[in-house]
Amino acid sequence: MSTPISLRETERKVFRAATNDGLTDVLLGCFFLMFVIAPFLSEYWGDFWSAAAFLPFYGLIWLGIHLARKHIIRPRIGSAEFGPSRKARLKSFTVVMLVLNVMAFVLGIFAFLNFADMPLSTYPIVLGVMLLTGFSLGGYFLDWPRLYLYGLLTAIAPLIGEWLWNEGLASHHGYPVVFGVTSGIMILTGLFIFARLLLAHPLPAEEA
Amino acid sequence: MSPSTNEPDLRPLADIDQVIHNPTRLMLLSYLYVVERADYVFLKNMSELSWGNLATHLNKLEESGYVEIEKSFKGKKPHSSVNLTPQGREAFRAYKKRMQQVLDDLPD
Repeated sequence: MSTPISLRETERKVFRAATNDGLTDVLLGCFFLMFVIAPFLSEYWGDFWSAAAFLPFYGLIWLGIHLARKHIIRPRIGSAEFGPSRKARLKSFTVVMLVLNVMAFVLGIFAFLNFADMPLSTYPIVLGVMLLTGFSLGGYFLDWPRLYLYGLLTAIAPLIGEWLWNEGLASHHGYPVVFGVTSGIMILTGLFIFARLLLAHPLPAEEA
Repeated sequence: MSPSTNEPDLRPLADIDQVIHNPTRLMLLSYLYVVERADYVFLKNMSELSWGNLATHLNKLEESGYVEIEKSFKGKKPHSSVNLTPQGREAFRAYKKRMQQVLDDLPD
């Protein structure tokens, strides 16, 4: 059976082909590693420095991904610049994510200084909702359906973590366990997509 | 004799742009229509054409003024990228509209 031809679907296909290399999944997974390791470090360095210590790590991961895209991915799959509609969509996504991050930052300050005098159980719920919102927006704007799944995983992770902690089954609010599983899923998914891409696209011969 | 108002008018088919109507070139133009610019490697992957076929069809589109090809070197390797010209974009839109008109008029 033939597939109907749709320029909108073609644009999505082209966008996915150019961007779906698995490395963003690895970057996201590495980001959530902070929730796994920082709780242990905070016992020695405090909350702020244990989180800040991850900045150089993220810098290295970002640099590695940038170099991998330049020297491994692009020679194999080529590159494309997107049209005005996709650029506008990406711009909207950036603005929305910026707003969401500012909200998360403000929430973090509230939690750190306990301004609002909210019960501690509120924070995992709010964190879960924000993560679900962020990933869902990513799934919508970037046309990557698996981001919805990541959103669900990261949204339920703090809640399950709290439950494990309350039951005495895990330390540090359960974050090392639940975010360890979440970041592991993201990193393994990313590496699988990356490896599949390398196998499917060996280095092409030079242009004719 | 002109066709009656109830019969599909197929005369616009004679004016279909033959450069675009070729299936391979139509596929390449569709990819180029949804991006601003793409390189040969990307188009080769998307279309699954050989280098020779890709170059032949893109040259034909360039001769018609529908695409611009920019040839350069990345290190010591040749690197070509392609974009649709305004004329090519307009021709593609006109082709799409004409085909839609003709096909929509045909009975099931």
